[in-house]
Amino acid sequence: MKKTFLVKRNGLLSLTDVSWGVFALACAIIVLLVRLIAPGFFWYVFTPVFRVADAVSLEGHSFISGFENAAKLTAQNERLANENTALANENQALAQKIIDIEDLFTSTTAKSGILAGVVARPPESPYDTLVLAAGENAGITLGMEAFGDGGVPLGIVSSVLADFSRVTLFSAPGVTTAGWVGNDGLAITISGAGAGVMNATVSRSAAIAVGDTVFAPGPGMLPIGKVIRIDSNPTAPGVTLRIQPALNLFSVSWVTIRDTGVPFSISATSTP
Amino acid sequence: MRGTSLSFSTCGTLTLLAFVSVIFFPWPLTIMLAFTSSFFIPLLPLAIGLFADTLYYTPHSGTLPLFTLYGALAAGVSIFVHRQLRTGIIGR
Repeated sequence: MKKTFLVKRNGLLSLTDVSWGVFALACAIIVLLVRLIAPGFFWYVFTPVFRVADAVSLEGHSFISGFENAAKLTAQNERLANENTALANENQALAQKIIDIEDLFTSTTAKSGILAGVVARPPESPYDTLVLAAGENAGITLGMEAFGDGGVPLGIVSSVLADFSRVTLFSAPGVTTAGWVGNDGLAITISGAGAGVMNATVSRSAAIAVGDTVFAPGPGMLPIGKVIRIDSNPTAPGVTLRIQPALNLFSVSWVTIRDTGVPFSISATSTP
Repeated sequence: MRGTSLSFSTCGTLTLLAFVSVIFFPWPLTIMLAFTSSFFIPLLPLAIGLFADTLYYTPHSGTLPLFTLYGALAAGVSIFVHRQLRTGIIGR
């Protein structure tokens, strides 16, 4: 009988039970040490893994959509919608450039940029960050701005290694950006709210409506997103704008990095 | 090496799957997997949190390594529950 009790107790917890946890923790610590000691080597090792993850994700999507025609049409529709959004944003950016005199002076720098492939993006990467397969060797420096399809500003380079860099998106918590909203260009401060969403507070009397475009400094005014909801609290003097990014951050595969000279309130570090 | 009430191979598979999910799956799925695994492997949420922050965390103002912190919290709670459970069984 006593032996039976011991077997039951060991069945719930024994010294060997924690070994898988200790093993996992040791692996995590080793990976952390490799990243801290040899960050370049770390990203060289993990970049192919991220690429495989991307390929698997893409194949999985194709495999599932192959089962029914409706799913295929949905995927095609999604792709076309993304292209349409990119073209619309590009069009808006170009239209804004025409009426922005300052942009005419800086148009020569706007054409230049560093094209970088995205290694990891949300939702795989939390904290609203992008990992890019280009770094110091490609000319990327801290504080440069990342642009997506159609010249949509996405975020700021917050960490740079020799061949890799990381971009903190405007939607990341703690990131604030000066911008404008609406056709009149009302100045606002855009705050990152996480999960790809941004917020801004404006006066109640400001004539802002759902669907108004939000702009960020680029050079000039570049569309960063749209107002999707306006939250009004009767006790507060202003209203809160909920802003959806102009680009789907889950499908960003290439970005252009440029030095715009615009200061952003994110204390970037050189920590790898 | 085996988990609380799962076989050696199942716990190993669960551990491997949790690590793989950090790279291959969206992070909410990783959290769910780590949380579920904590019933059998108490230290796994901490390991997964550390691994996720190693890959994705960028230190700048206003952000904390939340995955590590929440992983440590989940591991602490899991270890506490396991100890209480063991004490209860011994006390019978």
